[in-house]
Amino acid sequence: MAKARALEKRRGSIRNIRKITRTMELIANAQFKRAMDRVTAASAYTQRITELVDDLAHSGLDVSHPLLEQHPETDRAVMLVLTSNRGMCGGDNGNIFRVAFGQYEHIVAEVPNVEVEVSGKRGISALAYRKIELQKTYTHFENQPSYKDVEAVANGLMDRYVTGEIDRLDVVYMKYLSSSKQQAVAETLLPMGTLGEDQSELDRGVDGSGYEFQPSVESILEEVVPTSLRVQLFKCFLDSAVSEHISRMVAMKGATENADEIIRQLSMAYNRARQSQITNDIMEVIGGAEALKS
Amino acid sequence: MSLMLCHRAVDHLQNGTRIMASLRCIVVTPEKTVLDAKTDFIALPLYDGEVGIAPGRAPLIGRLAYGQMRLRSGDTVDRYYVDGGFIQVTGNVVTVLTNRAVPVAEVDPIAARQQLANALKLPASTPELEGIRDRAVAQARGQLSAARAAS
Repeated sequence: MAKARALEKRRGSIRNIRKITRTMELIANAQFKRAMDRVTAASAYTQRITELVDDLAHSGLDVSHPLLEQHPETDRAVMLVLTSNRGMCGGDNGNIFRVAFGQYEHIVAEVPNVEVEVSGKRGISALAYRKIELQKTYTHFENQPSYKDVEAVANGLMDRYVTGEIDRLDVVYMKYLSSSKQQAVAETLLPMGTLGEDQSELDRGVDGSGYEFQPSVESILEEVVPTSLRVQLFKCFLDSAVSEHISRMVAMKGATENADEIIRQLSMAYNRARQSQITNDIMEVIGGAEALKS
Repeated sequence: MSLMLCHRAVDHLQNGTRIMASLRCIVVTPEKTVLDAKTDFIALPLYDGEVGIAPGRAPLIGRLAYGQMRLRSGDTVDRYYVDGGFIQVTGNVVTVLTNRAVPVAEVDPIAARQQLANALKLPASTPELEGIRDRAVAQARGQLSAARAAS
């Protein structure tokens, strides 16, 4: 009976694990939907900002802003890595690290001083393991990063860029392309270069010159540029949150299926063991009876 | 005769707009669409002073300051605190793009006072730093005045 009991015990523990992975899958699914709603809401805002920029571009303005300009010397760069606080999400964090290490080497080769900032416990431990010095760490960006928190980070970085303290900002994060494809990317947010690629599509039908600008086009522009940077960074945070949930969903679905498979195999082995045990017992009883008869 | 007709048409048009006159106000923040409502009149804090918008206003793009936005429909006035951003008026649709929009009652005056005190302590030795400080001060003062309007 020993073997059958051991199998039964193992099957029980696999069942428990399956329950956990299945629950995690469902939770990840629910959180993914909520995170996706936030991305949709944010893109409504982004779209309106883009329209506004279009209208500004119609007014024939020469776009210039400290955030758009490259500093004459790139002396100090900041690399911000967005990872998750929790594990159990498949290759999500691993892919980000791979890109982050590559980008780090790349920046170190170009820029004398590099500061690394990390969001997420996973990233903190991985980079600390690699002995990369972390200037700042954030762990308060949970499943749903709030705009207020992201804004604070963005404002801090922008202020430092404008005052010339830093000359470059790179963000490494998981970009959400579609629900079946996410990609770890490194993007340079500062200097911004141009205000999006919308400069070329000036034929939107609406004539922007019909607008009255208050107080002035320059003043509006002064505000549009930082806003679009803040929104870009917010988008990065939202994307990485969505990607984390998707990866976790996929990973946990796989884990649940594997657990099912193991349970099936164990059940089969258990039944066999049990049956052979019963056969053995019967044989023994029959053997005993035969022995008594003679 | 044709002139009279023309006049009558204009009268009709004006009456028509007056009867169905209402603005559609959409307030969008990066996190969600806070408000999408019909209203009669909107007052907003622009960067260089307050602007009032009634139905039929000419198209406008404006830069918002920190302060309270008032929406009047009938006899009721709703007050919100808006945290910078932009306003776009096209036709009778007013789109407010802001970082944060909350009813004034939800603005915390104690936190705002604290923020003002912190902001005033910021250095202002270079033009850039001065700009950063001015923004922080304006934001704190806007919150304070909005909170005052609530009480």
